[in-house]
Amino acid sequence: MRPTVEEQLLGTCRILEDVVAPCVADPFARTILDGLVANLRMLNGAIPAVAGFLRHDNQATVDLLRSLAPALPAALAGRIAEAAAEPEPDAVDGAALDRRNLQLRGLLAEAVGLEGLAADAGAKIVRHMTERASRVPMRYVPTAPAAHHTPPDQPQKP
Amino acid sequence: MTTSAERGAAGQAAHAAPADQVVAGLERLIRQEIPAARTIRLTGLARAAGGLSRENWSLDASWTDANGPHEHRLMLMRDAAGTLLNTERAREFAVLKALEGSAVPAPRVHWMDPRGAFLGAPSVVMERMPGACDYMVLNGGRPLEERLTLARRFIELMAAIHAVDWRARGLERSLGLPEGSPAQAELGHWEGEYRRVRLEPHPELDLVLSWLQRSAPRAEALVLVHGDFKPGNALIEGLSITAKLDWETAHLGDPLEDLGWVTNPVRKREHQIAGHWERRQIIDAYRELTGRAVQERDLIWWNVLACWKLAVIQLTAVNEFVAGRYSRVFQTPAWLYRPMFQMMEAA
Repeated sequence: MRPTVEEQLLGTCRILEDVVAPCVADPFARTILDGLVANLRMLNGAIPAVAGFLRHDNQATVDLLRSLAPALPAALAGRIAEAAAEPEPDAVDGAALDRRNLQLRGLLAEAVGLEGLAADAGAKIVRHMTERASRVPMRYVPTAPAAHHTPPDQPQKP
Repeated sequence: MTTSAERGAAGQAAHAAPADQVVAGLERLIRQEIPAARTIRLTGLARAAGGLSRENWSLDASWTDANGPHEHRLMLMRDAAGTLLNTERAREFAVLKALEGSAVPAPRVHWMDPRGAFLGAPSVVMERMPGACDYMVLNGGRPLEERLTLARRFIELMAAIHAVDWRARGLERSLGLPEGSPAQAELGHWEGEYRRVRLEPHPELDLVLSWLQRSAPRAEALVLVHGDFKPGNALIEGLSITAKLDWETAHLGDPLEDLGWVTNPVRKREHQIAGHWERRQIIDAYRELTGRAVQERDLIWWNVLACWKLAVIQLTAVNEFVAGRYSRVFQTPAWLYRPMFQMMEAA
């Protein structure tokens, strides 16, 4: 399908930068516009990776929860077993993948808040979380206010 | 009585409605505070580009009363519709009032509109101080010697804030004493914010929260804490810090809270100068200036809390954006997880 999602996002950035931005004189509005364009560029790279990220994370979280379950209270372990037994969503159903991710991460949040987890379980959890953090496709793009947009005697705060 | 509102060219078109509100509201506020004021003129209104939590408006005001003509360069801080920090203008006003005449450079505060009766949102009006705000001044284009001088001035300023006699200046009444240990009180506050703003489970933040709860340190002293100490919250002229700004997060607490904020490894580029002014130099300078011991394990706890607090602030932005009240797009703060885990491991 043309224009592709990528072409539309990048084209929108181009129009905002070439057509709209030169007409925006207000420093605050210009800073906001710069941030929105930066975020659209980030999304252009991130969107194709989201479904794959969720599929991988759902599987990794199920595996982690299964390994933790024997050391957890019976009620929580039971809910983990039920969740783990559910079929994985269709690989291209983004909304279902997201719901599944919320369900599994909710269970993990309960598990990590418990006292008395063994050291090796703790290390396993941290390893899982560190790896997940390195794979998250959508990231904040910092855009500090540009000095040339701001009168020189005004405080300028990030 | 005549009034004129001559707005700066910048900002006029895009923010006509808020600008009108600011001008009209401020005029009414001045009339309320100074009933004898005549010929009130508010000119040069412009909204600053920065500021993630509040609207910052600069303007010049003049009026005449029985004592003659008055002219003031003003800054008006007004709560934004969406904000990263839920703070009280009354707190900032009280701290700035209390700091008048102290060794801490801070703007003289004029008036407050605590509930937004005049300005549409809670606001404070203060003197616009000389100097410029540059949040990357320690790693900007200045020569190294100048940057090192400023770095030293920043830690001296922190020590001066921590040396404020808060009892003598009545800050106990306006800020209140922390319930329990300062570490527990601060963590409790941010845990409340976390539970209020999160839109989905964050097991990483729950894991760190459990660690913070289990290992909260005792405070070596109870001092006035700025709460958001950074170069970006200061005005600089030459090699002088002319004013410390943004006191809305100030409270009575553990001095290591501010020190933990500036030694937070994820914000090195704001607070440190690689190879010259790093964690060790900052801690040594603070020890030398204050005579405090600064236990490394305790400071790491505050470093972790600094990151956790940053994460909660980002989640606040996500919440506000999704609710349609905030105009910047933030994401889940995954970039903060690994540094927090590493510090917990090292503690």
